[in-house]
Amino acid sequence: MIRKSGIGIAALAIGVLTSVIPAKADFWSDAGAKYKGVVLHGVTESTPPSNYIKDVLAPEFEKKTGIKVQIETTSWDQMYDKAIKDMEAKTGIYDMVYIEQDIIYAYLARNFLIDISKALKDDPSLKAPEFDETHFTTFANYFKNAEGNLFGIPMEAFIKVYLYRTDLFNDPKIQEAFKKETGKALAPAKTHEEYTQIAEFFTKYGKDNGLELWGTTAQAHTGHPASWYEFFESIAPTFGVYNWGIDASNNYAASVKNGGQMNSDKAKAAIKYWLHLRDIAPPESAASTWTEVGTTFAAGRVAQGLVYGENAAWIASDAEKSKVVGNVGVALPPTEADVLKEVEGGKGYLGYYDGGAFGLPITSKNKEAALLFLQFIGQDSVQPDWAIAAPRITNTSTYDDPKVLDMDKKLNGYYTMLKDQGKLFAGAPPFPFHAQVREATAPIFYKILLGEVGPDEGLDQMAEAAETELKNLGYRK
Amino acid sequence: MRSNTVGWLMLAPTIAILGVFGIIPFLYVLYVAFHQWNPFGASPDMIYNGANNFRRLVFDAEFLTSIAFTMKFAFFAVLSEIALGYLLAQLFMKEFPGRGFFRTIHTLPLIVAPIVVGSVWRLMTTPSIGIIPYLLRNWFGYDLNIGRDATTAFTLTVIMDIWHWTPLVTLTLLAALLALPKEPFEQAQIDGANRRQIFWHVTLPMIRPAILATVFIRLMDALRTVDEVWMLTSGGPGAATRYVGLHIWKIVFPKTDYGYGAAISVIVLYLTLVMCWLLYVALVARRQRKRTF
Repeated sequence: MIRKSGIGIAALAIGVLTSVIPAKADFWSDAGAKYKGVVLHGVTESTPPSNYIKDVLAPEFEKKTGIKVQIETTSWDQMYDKAIKDMEAKTGIYDMVYIEQDIIYAYLARNFLIDISKALKDDPSLKAPEFDETHFTTFANYFKNAEGNLFGIPMEAFIKVYLYRTDLFNDPKIQEAFKKETGKALAPAKTHEEYTQIAEFFTKYGKDNGLELWGTTAQAHTGHPASWYEFFESIAPTFGVYNWGIDASNNYAASVKNGGQMNSDKAKAAIKYWLHLRDIAPPESAASTWTEVGTTFAAGRVAQGLVYGENAAWIASDAEKSKVVGNVGVALPPTEADVLKEVEGGKGYLGYYDGGAFGLPITSKNKEAALLFLQFIGQDSVQPDWAIAAPRITNTSTYDDPKVLDMDKKLNGYYTMLKDQGKLFAGAPPFPFHAQVREATAPIFYKILLGEVGPDEGLDQMAEAAETELKNLGYRK
Repeated sequence: MRSNTVGWLMLAPTIAILGVFGIIPFLYVLYVAFHQWNPFGASPDMIYNGANNFRRLVFDAEFLTSIAFTMKFAFFAVLSEIALGYLLAQLFMKEFPGRGFFRTIHTLPLIVAPIVVGSVWRLMTTPSIGIIPYLLRNWFGYDLNIGRDATTAFTLTVIMDIWHWTPLVTLTLLAALLALPKEPFEQAQIDGANRRQIFWHVTLPMIRPAILATVFIRLMDALRTVDEVWMLTSGGPGAATRYVGLHIWKIVFPKTDYGYGAAISVIVLYLTLVMCWLLYVALVARRQRKRTF
């Protein structure tokens, strides 16, 4: 009897203890318990990295924490439209918003975002043990303020690289023909002159042989900002014109007469070089935006081109979408002779280091739960599979993961280039007026593309228009 | 007195909705139009600047060009849609095998969202993959490239609009034609009128209100077209298809020049009203006045 009651008491004691002592499963379930039932809303551009968040990371997080995450993936302009209107009107619909580098400075100027570093310091109970800001690559610096505090969790990061067709470049017959025509060995271009020669050769080769093949791609839409960005982010820097030719330290000067570079001789040489390439590129180039250059390359229509890294991976590895799988070489963009030295010396950059982060709007109604989710996607452990599914690397440890190393081989060293030479590339200039200056100068830029105004005269007009706009916005005194 | 109160109570929800979603936003836009306001500028505050925004747009070549292009677009698109819509409505009046099927097929573009229409047309017109450039090159040796040729781009936006909206005109005019009494037509035939005379003197006057209503609807739509054109040409090449709706979008959204964008919106609304009024005077009021004399 006593024994029976003893067992009963022990069972009761265990029952009471298990009900009062909180379960210590892991940080996520414990931290998430307080916010169970909360629904987080995020808005982002529909890109492979964003879709991975929506399809894989959000459901995983929900499973671990009980916090539901709804990610809305939409077009680039819709995404900005929705996010900005929400933060502007303080409606608090979104708990996470995609921040591209060129908008972060405008968001910071408007105090739209939560300081993630400070928020986690202020409430250590929210800090995930696996999350560490120092694990991010230097790309995270683009989402920090002057004090070094983080305002966005990096989620997308890639460089715009020079892709070339190894099957064409290694073809002995083509090599011989190239040698005969130019007196040089066919190899990936290091200078603009070499790139032009190769482009001209392959365009002629395609025509002579009745092939749908051209010498180069060109992101040269005649009415879309993509072409403007191709010039200022990918072409002008290789001629030594950085930050769109605007000198922020010199009263935001854009024109040469005021100390800027937008209409400098270098910029004028750059645009003439690019216009020539555009003229020998496939016909769709005049309507190509960000992704179409990748599509053109993947369709086997060009021998070489500057392509965004996010496309490089599927072009090189996805046989369902690409006709050139296994035949894609990766190299640094060609430059003027002294530019590479200049860049290696820390002055300027070779091209665009593109990407974005997930930020937490100050208007969010679920800041704590959102902070948990942002840390979840910033952990080292979730990165390798994400990097395979969508070619982006934001955490240093990702480079050493065996799956990523394997993928790097398929991409002919794209990740290695990102790791070793990513420092030669740069994100958007730290200007809070990206869209405004772009829109003020783009109509003149399109006129240059259409031949309605000459390149020299057009760049002069653009520099003037940029300065006028900067004055209107109150930046230029 | 009592019935008046009940009437107002019944109307109250409508008035409230109209006020909240129509009048208040319009008044706000009007208010913003008299301010310099760029929330992403160095000074993000709204500063009253009188009629400066309105003064500015008189000298804004981009705005004036966009207005001119929009007028041209609206003229060709609406005129073609009315003509084609009427012909199709007449065709669908006749008995022929599969008439119901063709009527249904014909209305399909109407249920496609404008953004999808733009995407599909872009796919169809892209030089490397589009079916249209492919056929034009193979059949006529013509290289279609809307990224390079302004006239082609403009024409394509008009054709796309015609493809999308002609069914609306057809349906409206078909309904109008079906509702017409038979007697005047029989009378005209007995009097020996030919088909042209019957069209000008019997059919057209009787369906005039339906045509006018359709023209108004299509004109207003054509003047504010944005999404389809944005998807197809992004306003290019250059500014060849930067219609005023797209122009406003670019001023308000990427440039974040809210004050100026609001001023343009107000002016465009005013221009739309004026155009509709002129059309009304030309086609209805003058005719009614003639009748009374």
